Amino acid sequence: MADIALKQVTKKFKKNTVLSGVSIDIKDKEFFVIFGPAGAGKTTLLNLIAGILVPEEGVITINGNVINSLEPEHRNVAMVFENYALYPHLTVFENIASPLRSPKYRQPEGKIRDEVERVAKILRIDWLLQRLPSELSNGQRQRVSLGRALVRNPEVFLMDEPLTHLDAKLRHQMRAEFKEMQANLNTTTIYVTHDYLEALSLADRIAVLNQGRIEQIGTPDEIYYRPATEFVAEAFGEPEINILTADLVSKDGSMHLNLLGDSDHFAVPGRVRQALEEHGGDTVRAGFRPKDIKYNFTGDSSMLRATVYSFEPLGAKAILTVQADGQLIRLIAAADLDAKPDQPIYLKFNMEEAIFFDSGTGRFIARAGEKGVRSVG
Amino acid sequence: MGNTNPIAKILKNSALLLYALFALFPLFWMLLISFKHDREMFNTIFVFNPTLENYRVLFSTGEYIGYFMNNVFVSVGAVLLSLAVGVPAAYALARFDFRGKEDLAFTFLSFRFAPEMLVILPLFLIYQKIGLYDTAFGLIWVFQLISLPFIIWILRGYFEDISPEIEHAARVDGYSWWRVFLKINMPLIKPGMVAAALLSFIFVWNNFTFTLLLAGQGVVTTTVASLKYISSDTVHYGQMAAAVTIAALPEVLLALLIQKHLVRGLSMGAVKG
Repeated sequence: MADIALKQVTKKFKKNTVLSGVSIDIKDKEFFVIFGPAGAGKTTLLNLIAGILVPEEGVITINGNVINSLEPEHRNVAMVFENYALYPHLTVFENIASPLRSPKYRQPEGKIRDEVERVAKILRIDWLLQRLPSELSNGQRQRVSLGRALVRNPEVFLMDEPLTHLDAKLRHQMRAEFKEMQANLNTTTIYVTHDYLEALSLADRIAVLNQGRIEQIGTPDEIYYRPATEFVAEAFGEPEINILTADLVSKDGSMHLNLLGDSDHFAVPGRVRQALEEHGGDTVRAGFRPKDIKYNFTGDSSMLRATVYSFEPLGAKAILTVQADGQLIRLIAAADLDAKPDQPIYLKFNMEEAIFFDSGTGRFIARAGEKGVRSVG
Repeated sequence: MGNTNPIAKILKNSALLLYALFALFPLFWMLLISFKHDREMFNTIFVFNPTLENYRVLFSTGEYIGYFMNNVFVSVGAVLLSLAVGVPAAYALARFDFRGKEDLAFTFLSFRFAPEMLVILPLFLIYQKIGLYDTAFGLIWVFQLISLPFIIWILRGYFEDISPEIEHAARVDGYSWWRVFLKINMPLIKPGMVAAALLSFIFVWNNFTFTLLLAGQGVVTTTVASLKYISSDTVHYGQMAAAVTIAALPEVLLALLIQKHLVRGLSMGAVKG
């Protein structure tokens, strides 16, 4: 039961700054996801909270107590490692029982057996208890690693990309199981991943990390509908959001975008216009998610003309890439669509779902509607 | 590969057999001689009247037992000291990064490069000066030049093969650093430790140069003692052979007992993954 806080934490390895000025507040019992691409510093962050690494600057607290100088064995955290870190010379049973036999968290043997078997049953590895880690599949090892954490009753669970090394099908399955487990955990959990689907589906809140800095902290809705930067917008969503540079023009008393050489069809919604005017400047970066762009092979004057560039069927859906004004735009299409390269196609952009970014800094300015607005209280 | 296989197999086996004969023959010959009388030494080969006379003379005075025990004492002492120093050193080289690390590691290895004769003169003078000449401790200390590099080099590979994540996991589980070292690291490097210790033991047990020149009458080992059998008029081959046979017994027995670990120990550290 713990609040975890990091204040201005910086971590350097020799001359390399891996984390810079990271501040995060995690509430008790929250399922908090740290999301970022490879090399962003996610594992380093987790290691700092676990006590495996010590920060150069900044303060880490659990329940308000500064723990910077506390050794890992005294922090009462449980960690699931990316590569499982199972003890190769111990059986599955002994691996899971290991924390309960340590000087710090020792339990009597009878209790140990009960706890290990209980956890093994939940994770469906109770039939593997006498095997060695080398005799297990990846998925089984991952569950043992999870089991070793779940026998504990820690202040916080730390999970470092637990699903990353599983094949796609198993990953989807485990994600669903995680969601169920999460509801029963009743303990603060910090979960690290580079998979945005895991982040969006499991998190109470997400911290987006990029090159050692926090880009945004928010609920999945806030992250998805109001990304703080272009990086965040591009990281969440497959296919990637289309962010295009556009000029702001005044036409017939309303504001329009001059997008892809066309200034007739992109009327900026009212509230957004206010925000854009306040922000100043006459160019903006407009982001359209692939699902918010409609297409048709026969168009009318209200649609933008483009040509088909490529078509990738992916089973249930397909990615249609079109070219307009020298730029490539990604759309989602039906998998059985008959689209040929250089075929003319007409697009309609949903301005109500468009996200606007500053053309210099890439930071969020506005979007229409109330989606993703943080609810008070 | 088809029909050359049986031929290749025969060739392989004969080559191995030939090498085995080549390597083992001196030992066999030595064993043979140890049961021969001095008078039959030069006029018989394989057919002779075996006798236990050589062994009887060997054990008639308590001297030889003394030499044997000296050898045991300095060899075991040297290996134990090397383990006590080398295991932490190997761990440090495997886990930590510090200035001059690779140079230091190479320096340890370089102890084995120099022929003992090269360093013996300065060492002799130093030992005389600081009073370590002709002491067991002096020998144990100088033997580190022989045994330490093995321990460090082999165990470094073993430590590097243990993922640091495993140590981290044990820390988070609630074990202090020291307990992690004993409970996790030590069991995992055991094969390497056994192999390195045995190798070091063999080289130290057989050492001749240092024991001859850095020890006098106080500490005489079996290697040096074999010189005694070269007297002014003749060489007592029979007694020498008996002495050497007894001297070689511990290492042969150890190697046979631990041979499974030895092969595993020497090869596992090298293969990654």
